[in-house]
Amino acid sequence: MERNPISQPAPKPSPKPRPIPLLETSAARVFTHLHPAILLSSYLLQFPSIVADPISALAMSLLPLALLQVTYTTICLPPTGTSSYMPAPKATKAGLKKKGGAKQTGGYATNLATSLLALTLAMVLGPVLLTIVLILFGAPITTHLPHTFLCACHMSLLAIQPLVYTHGVNAAKWRELSGLLVPVDEVVGGSLGVFIGAWLGAIPIPLDWDREWQKWPVTIVTGAYIGYALCKFLGGSVAMGRHINFG
Amino acid sequence: MAGTQRSPYLMLANVLIPIATIVFATGFFPYKPFIAGLANFTEDGEQQPPAIFDKLIFMVVDSLRSDFVFSEPSGFSYVQSLIRSGDAIPFTGHATAPTITMPRVKAMTTGSVPSFLDVILNFAEADTSSTLADQDTWLLQLKKNKGGKLVFYGDDTWLKLFPNMFSRSDGTSSFFVSDFTEVDNNVTRHVPEELGNTDWNALIMHYLGLDHIGHKAGPKSPNMIPKQKEMDGIVEQIYHAMQTQHHLQSSLLVLLGDHGMNDGGGHGGSSAGETSPALVFMSPKLRRVGQLTTRDCPIPFREDFDFYGTVEQSDLAPTLAGLFGFPVPLNNLGVFIETFLPLWPNGKDRLQLLKQNARQMLSLVKETFRSEDFEPSTKRDNCNDMDSEGAELACLWKEAEASGDNERLVLSRREPHLEQAFAFKKFCKRTQEVMSSTASNYNLTRMGAGIVLCLIAVTASLLTLLDKRRGLSITDQLVFICVVVPYMALMFASSFVEEEQVFWYWISAGFIASLVSSTGIPPNLTGAAAGAALLLFHRIIQRWNQTGQKRAGAPDIVHDVLLPHPLLLWTLVLTTYGLVLTRLRVRPFRPNKRTTMESYLSMTAGLLSLVFKASFTAHDAPELLEGVTPGVLQIFMDFNLVVGARLVFGLVIFVLVLRLARNDHTLPNDLVHLVTIFLLTQSRAQNIPLFLLFELQAVCLSTLHLNPSQLSLTSILFSHTAFFALGNSNAISSVDLANAYNGVAGYNVVAVGVLVFLSNWTGPIWWTLSSLRLIKETMQARKEKDHSPGSPFQLYMPLHTVFVGCALVAVMVACTVLRTHLFIWTVFSPKYLFSMAWSCLFHLLITIGLSTVYQKIALRATR
Repeated sequence: MERNPISQPAPKPSPKPRPIPLLETSAARVFTHLHPAILLSSYLLQFPSIVADPISALAMSLLPLALLQVTYTTICLPPTGTSSYMPAPKATKAGLKKKGGAKQTGGYATNLATSLLALTLAMVLGPVLLTIVLILFGAPITTHLPHTFLCACHMSLLAIQPLVYTHGVNAAKWRELSGLLVPVDEVVGGSLGVFIGAWLGAIPIPLDWDREWQKWPVTIVTGAYIGYALCKFLGGSVAMGRHINFG
Repeated sequence: MAGTQRSPYLMLANVLIPIATIVFATGFFPYKPFIAGLANFTEDGEQQPPAIFDKLIFMVVDSLRSDFVFSEPSGFSYVQSLIRSGDAIPFTGHATAPTITMPRVKAMTTGSVPSFLDVILNFAEADTSSTLADQDTWLLQLKKNKGGKLVFYGDDTWLKLFPNMFSRSDGTSSFFVSDFTEVDNNVTRHVPEELGNTDWNALIMHYLGLDHIGHKAGPKSPNMIPKQKEMDGIVEQIYHAMQTQHHLQSSLLVLLGDHGMNDGGGHGGSSAGETSPALVFMSPKLRRVGQLTTRDCPIPFREDFDFYGTVEQSDLAPTLAGLFGFPVPLNNLGVFIETFLPLWPNGKDRLQLLKQNARQMLSLVKETFRSEDFEPSTKRDNCNDMDSEGAELACLWKEAEASGDNERLVLSRREPHLEQAFAFKKFCKRTQEVMSSTASNYNLTRMGAGIVLCLIAVTASLLTLLDKRRGLSITDQLVFICVVVPYMALMFASSFVEEEQVFWYWISAGFIASLVSSTGIPPNLTGAAAGAALLLFHRIIQRWNQTGQKRAGAPDIVHDVLLPHPLLLWTLVLTTYGLVLTRLRVRPFRPNKRTTMESYLSMTAGLLSLVFKASFTAHDAPELLEGVTPGVLQIFMDFNLVVGARLVFGLVIFVLVLRLARNDHTLPNDLVHLVTIFLLTQSRAQNIPLFLLFELQAVCLSTLHLNPSQLSLTSILFSHTAFFALGNSNAISSVDLANAYNGVAGYNVVAVGVLVFLSNWTGPIWWTLSSLRLIKETMQARKEKDHSPGSPFQLYMPLHTVFVGCALVAVMVACTVLRTHLFIWTVFSPKYLFSMAWSCLFHLLITIGLSTVYQKIALRATR
């Protein structure tokens, strides 16, 4: 067995992954900030009904969330294959700006198709996988399975759909993603935020405040939403292009 | 690779930690003298004052705050009419914190002022069958001196405190707070019958319904007045019987609350509402006293809940002693309530009552202030000018003694008893003040000193940890901070202290995820699989035993899977033992010259341990051995448990010594497995498969090739996870005593103490040894590369010391800052006791002691 002590600097993989830039359109620049605002405010509006009846409220809000995510990826992000292995935008910025903008605007149909495909893929694999992950991280297993599954659905829409849209389904790519070997951008940041937020969301559950919202999975979903919005912003701004390494 | 880098700072830290712990504890749990035995009347030639009553009806209404009876609105209209007529003497009976039922019952029966330590000892004693039954209480005095029977109905706390005390009893558990009626009906249905019985001396009732209403909806609940009316009706029923039935004509009815409640309906703390229960003495015979002062009732509400003057709850004991004519209980700190003195027309009797009270208190004072001189002397001092409380009490006693032979008073033919009675009363009151504060006041200086010492220890260990030569990477520092800082913060939240396991389960899962993402590049499928397996085992481990308070009794693997399916349990137990023996390379059929003997001995130890566990279970939980043929079962039943356990312990130690003496280079690998045989012996059968899961986790960890500092962190996290997964929690009641007597024939305090610790900390001990073995494995890799100097163990002790120090500081500060918190006695103080065990026993003996030995062995083996 080969050893990989962490203290050693990691060898760089050959095709260096680059952060995903936004589309060079003003619509993209505006909507990427509008998107978390819509997301959080609509979540806030639904919050009372999620607390009152998590299953129906979470299920009802899946479709609007899917629409919002599809709109976001279509308007703001380059679909898989167009950007991640392209030369760095900085070098070609001046030359490509107009052309690229036009080309990408013309590609909204492609983007929409990719978004919908990404949505399908994310919803086929994501919820089951994330339900298992949630259970491994301590979600109840004998009870509340529909709750956990719906929580996983929301997390899939938030974290997986944009990732599939921008990175496709290349196995090597996903291994890099799961090993956090890619530079941070708003998609990676947002996805990481969903998981960290959901994890932190477990904190208030054991407190003896006896509030209705402390019940499963309200805090987890809330944590995922807040984490997504926060880390998506951070990933698209201050942390853009940085590398994360937990080791 | 010369050896571990020793650090004087680290040594200082580890010397300071136990000192800080003990210094803090002496400030937090002050010493209080306790006298064993049963009080007798002292022969002093004086005649005993006659008893006024012969039958006691003691009616405790849980949480009966003073204003419920004496003010408005109130449902106690009958009691109020008795107060107006003078048949009832009302008081506010001050209850000291902790205002929870058990210590309150102790206070009102023994007359002492229970400190938190008493509460803990009570909990501890509850398991070792020594209770208030052997202590001097008015219950025991009534039983012994009056030769009658005691009967009890109500809260089963009394039955736990006084086993075999009552001739008839029917206990109700206060488990379901939503039950307002059944708990009380269960008491009331016995009342008519018992009022007709003539055989009892004391009828004790403890009603819980009012407390339940308080907990559920507070003092202003719409259920409150109807409940008070119900209680009032019972008083009326009893009082009517006392007036009409001949055998009850010399009986006394006492209606009281054990504690009050705050505006939220809770109790436990020391707010005015909580510490002011009502206390009413009722009897037609009391009218002589009651009519001396006219009392208005109901009277307007008072913010301080002080109605009709406050007496201490502990004053009940000497007052009952006087009224019923038995000696004052030995540990009493109460003062005879002087309102009742006019019941004795003779001045000599009155003096005698106070004198007995004072004499009994003097013996307690003498215990506390051993250096003071209490012998009578002619020298007269001004007692107010004394420089210490002990000297003041000694002075007051001498003054009281001397005032009896004051010639001037005798010559003047005035009543000499009056002045002496007054002097004795003064001594009693002052003693009560001084001694009560000894029991409940904290010594803040010592607590502060403990915290400061502990902070120095943390600083010293931090200096070692952050020493550049030890090479703790920034990332590992961040991960460490992510564990320590939240842990320190949650020591201030009572619900997190009660549910500490959720923190460790949660942070460990996150830590495992961070380990997987750091397994290196290219993304390693083996690493991912190992991480997933780690998480899976972690998830199973945390579900093994449901622990904590909030969800206690919720389904878990032990109760819902293993106990109903003994076959599965024993298969897993056998697998665990099999794995351990495999790890020890026990190959009975492929003998190897050098290791044959040790191999056979290890195997014998393992098999004996297994038989021991089976036999232990046959005694402890025979239902787990259902289906075993009677012949085999008989073998288990006949197995000598003491000898068996001793043989296992002896064999494990013997093999260990043999291999140490042989300078065995495989011992560092095998030590954990050898010790596991001992740890399995000290675990409950249903917890044994956990060690299988631990071992599987260790295998996963070893494939992740973590660095020594990550492994040291793993050791902290998994030790705590294992501690709670084995069913422990921060409640004293969760301490498992089942395996504390393995191999112990008589009662040997030291051996039992050591085994209590070892059997409750089996999981952490296992993880300490296992993580040390994993760290040792990294030595090989280091040797090959040889670019990182120093021992791989050099971060292990500093990391653990910083963690233990920080945790201790947090608990100490939490206990100091929250010392008036509602849950200080129920949550934070037990947590401090557990912290003492973690830091003084586990940290010093295992983390530091055992790991030092291990490092020596490991370094010697690689040389």
